[in-house]
Amino acid sequence: MLRVIDRYAFTNRLRMVDPAQKSAIALTTIVLCLVLDRPLVSGLALLWMVGLAIGYARLPWRVVIAVLSTESMFLMLSVIGIAVRLGVDASTAAVPIGPFWVSMDRSSVLLAGQVFIRVIACVSALNVLALTTPLVDLIDLFHRWRIPTILIEVMILSYRAIFLLLDTLERMVIAQKARLGYASWRSTLRSSALIGSQLFMAAYQRSRMLEQALIGRGFCGEVRVLPIRYHHDWRLWAFLVLMVITVSLARMWG
Amino acid sequence: MKRWQRWLIVSVGAVLFLVFEARPAYAMHIMEGFLPPLWALFWFVVVIPFWVIGVRRLRALISDTPEVRLLLGFAAAFTFVLSALKLPSVTGSSSHPTGTGLGAILFGPWVMSILGSIVLLFQALLIAHGGLTTLGANAFSMAVVGPWVAWLIWRSLNGRAPFWVTVFLAAALADLTTYVVTALQLALAHPDPVGGIGASIIKFGAIFAVTQIPLAISEGVLTVLIMNALQTNAKAELEALAVKGIRP
Repeated sequence: MLRVIDRYAFTNRLRMVDPAQKSAIALTTIVLCLVLDRPLVSGLALLWMVGLAIGYARLPWRVVIAVLSTESMFLMLSVIGIAVRLGVDASTAAVPIGPFWVSMDRSSVLLAGQVFIRVIACVSALNVLALTTPLVDLIDLFHRWRIPTILIEVMILSYRAIFLLLDTLERMVIAQKARLGYASWRSTLRSSALIGSQLFMAAYQRSRMLEQALIGRGFCGEVRVLPIRYHHDWRLWAFLVLMVITVSLARMWG
Repeated sequence: MKRWQRWLIVSVGAVLFLVFEARPAYAMHIMEGFLPPLWALFWFVVVIPFWVIGVRRLRALISDTPEVRLLLGFAAAFTFVLSALKLPSVTGSSSHPTGTGLGAILFGPWVMSILGSIVLLFQALLIAHGGLTTLGANAFSMAVVGPWVAWLIWRSLNGRAPFWVTVFLAAALADLTTYVVTALQLALAHPDPVGGIGASIIKFGAIFAVTQIPLAISEGVLTVLIMNALQTNAKAELEALAVKGIRP
């Protein structure tokens, strides 16, 4: 999942659009869905977002649907908690579980459905941001927002380190599997522990090496890179205005 | 029992099975959009003091020892990558360690509140797991409460109880409290119309107990094994980090 999202973030058609513009669209959608909170609003926003991802950013529909369906699986689990009611007395048709009476009725299921569609709409907006914007662009945006430099530094370094460590991790896992690691429950735990400690040392040594390399090149506490030149896409602003108008109309109507 | 009822039960069972098997079982993050605006805002207000103090501690740490800057980047990445490890759990599905207990022991709770929040932000933006408006709530349960519980247990029991008991309790209870706090956050936002908030905690708690309680136990065992391995293999690194309470 990580590598898939990261790859499309760098190769989609909206790559060079200002990250501020893309995050404005995602955040506006999320806030509208949360504040207006109507199934019709969320459904419309979901269509707009999926349309934007597939139709305009030219992401493969398989990827967009795959990411969204994994998330809806997870979401169904959380929504059960809203659909089910719990009481201590058997008032209506209820199934006893231990000391409690579990029941479901029309209104609770409707409420669960409403939360489900709202969350899916918000998540699709977050997906648009994640799938069209590389993390480096977002970190650049945080820099413009004057987030403390120390946090920016840690973010830049860890974004680089994540992929280094992930490569190391994958090689370690292959080596262990070739030597009967992960063969049983016990050996899985032992292999995981070995990886956990070895990876920690690998991370520590990598950071020492990077530090020496950076000091050798005159590092004094700040990694400076040339900013990327983004462009503003007027069509995206038009899209945002159109979406806000239609969604507000949907709120008045439903 | 009528025929359609039997079918209903079978199909509900099949859906539940699929959901439990397919769910990407990182720790239990609250998804984007799940919290109403006021609750999302509330948890940000709660967590911001911890972030402010955390950044101050981080600045002080870096002005004392500049070389720790790079280590912090790698520590955040380490926590992120650790959550990609698959752990076996009793129910057959796999779960993933959260690394909060280990991180709190190695780096302390203030630094961990910042590193954990960065990891949560990355999980939202890199693998679309968790969310931006729910970042405050998730950061409070995973990056503040969990690490503090682990650290308090680690500092109070160290030297008084056997090493492995201390580490196990610190890591397992950090996971368990994270899970309880998340259930509480969900329950406050979506109280049960019949039984109120209490009933709602029980509901959300029961749903996630299947993955979260085995996860806490596996992560406890894993953290003990990692700390043991670190003590034999990485003594110099632990001393450089000035991890308190390491066996001489």
